[in-house]
Amino acid sequence: MQSRRFIILSLPIYFCGLTVLLTNQNGLISAPDRYKVFVFLFLLALFLVNLIDLRLCYLLPSARRDQIRPRRRGSPTHLLIVLGSGGHTAEMLAMLNELDCKGLNFRTYIVSSGDAFSARKAREFEEGLALRAAQNSEEGFYVIHTIPRARRIHQSLLTTPFSCLWCLNSALRILSTGPPPSKNTQGHPRFPNVILTNGPATAVIVILASYILRFFNIGSCNSVGSMRTIYVESWARVKQLSLSGRLLLRFVDRFLVQWEQLLPATGGIGEYHGWLI
Amino acid sequence: MSRHSQTKKLCFVTVGATASFDRLIDSVISPKVLKTLKELGYTDVTIQYGDYSKSFFESVVKANSSTISELGLTITGFDFRSYGLEDDMLDAKGEWGNAEGVVITHGGSGTVLDALRLSVQLIVVPNSTLLDNHQAQLAEALEGQGYVVYGNLNNLSAALHESETLRQKHRTWPPVNSGTHRKARGVPGIVGDETGLTE
Repeated sequence: MQSRRFIILSLPIYFCGLTVLLTNQNGLISAPDRYKVFVFLFLLALFLVNLIDLRLCYLLPSARRDQIRPRRRGSPTHLLIVLGSGGHTAEMLAMLNELDCKGLNFRTYIVSSGDAFSARKAREFEEGLALRAAQNSEEGFYVIHTIPRARRIHQSLLTTPFSCLWCLNSALRILSTGPPPSKNTQGHPRFPNVILTNGPATAVIVILASYILRFFNIGSCNSVGSMRTIYVESWARVKQLSLSGRLLLRFVDRFLVQWEQLLPATGGIGEYHGWLI
Repeated sequence: MSRHSQTKKLCFVTVGATASFDRLIDSVISPKVLKTLKELGYTDVTIQYGDYSKSFFESVVKANSSTISELGLTITGFDFRSYGLEDDMLDAKGEWGNAEGVVITHGGSGTVLDALRLSVQLIVVPNSTLLDNHQAQLAEALEGQGYVVYGNLNNLSAALHESETLRQKHRTWPPVNSGTHRKARGVPGIVGDETGLTE
């Protein structure tokens, strides 16, 4: 809707711009050639913005609210879990205590580089799953990727954009790698069906990477039931959303909070289902 | 005076792993709070003081050594345990035949959550020097629902008394821990929805 309004508002600008470009020196409106270059570049930029805007409105959560493809439990399903550092990791693994590992039968974990604690926790968690799975004669499989930090603690703000780009590059690579080929991962989708995160800075980068891939529909990753996103706000957040939460609020398919008094801060987007940890 | 015949009642204090919290150590080991502990039947105080506060802890104990020996309290400390603080918390809970004591903790969500899981008596003292005092939010909300006592650095004695009252409330049925916060629908369920899983 917003997008259509933006295009309609842009039309008079296109009209004026093209008039300036197409009339010659003797016309009613005349402009020297060097100004025409600027007008041309401006129109081109506006056109690109319009195009991106139009594409984005098909990518945003509102455009695919019910685009979930029902699948039988046991068919290849791929879940991506973003673990951050210490506290985020602990909360995430606590939330997944009763993970349905037969249904979600391939799991990709992303941990920050230099966070051996999170990687170890993920491995222990998977060992726990495997142990329980063995009792039910079910099997689950996983891979752990490390990603460079978007910003190390105390890193200068000047160099932060570069480390963010480095992190983004890595996120794009991890997202499009897919499960490692083995007899257990046949038929698993290359792109995760669901991305689950609870708010470390890395999560913002991973979600951004998912938008970039979907924007260009790389490997038809923008299809129904692919790369849906769930964000869980930290239990420690009672009154205000975290920075990651504020950034991601309008860009994730499901936004969960763990305190009822935090709902107003989400402007009607958030959901509250009690404590999740 | 035979201390050994007395049932152990432990007050376990933890400042967390990441930031130091010397003011909490200082508040606990002060004549006023130590006297309150004695009044309430405590025999032992154990303090997890973090990586940087060993000498601070030792100096505070030394400065109050006369009060400590007068009251007959046993005060010990350690920096950190890589395998977690569960054993210390259970000790304070009275799991091994002790009287039920209390855990005094900084406001970090991880430690608070661990303690709530073990359903041990908890006093949360937010470290107000951290970024926008974010620990206070959680402590206030949890106190509002009767899970913990919000402890103020300047008035830990009051918090300890309040904790004894809450302990009695805890024993009444239904327990304070039930109610709106039971997991209605966990994250695994929502992940299942979003992947479209059906039987």
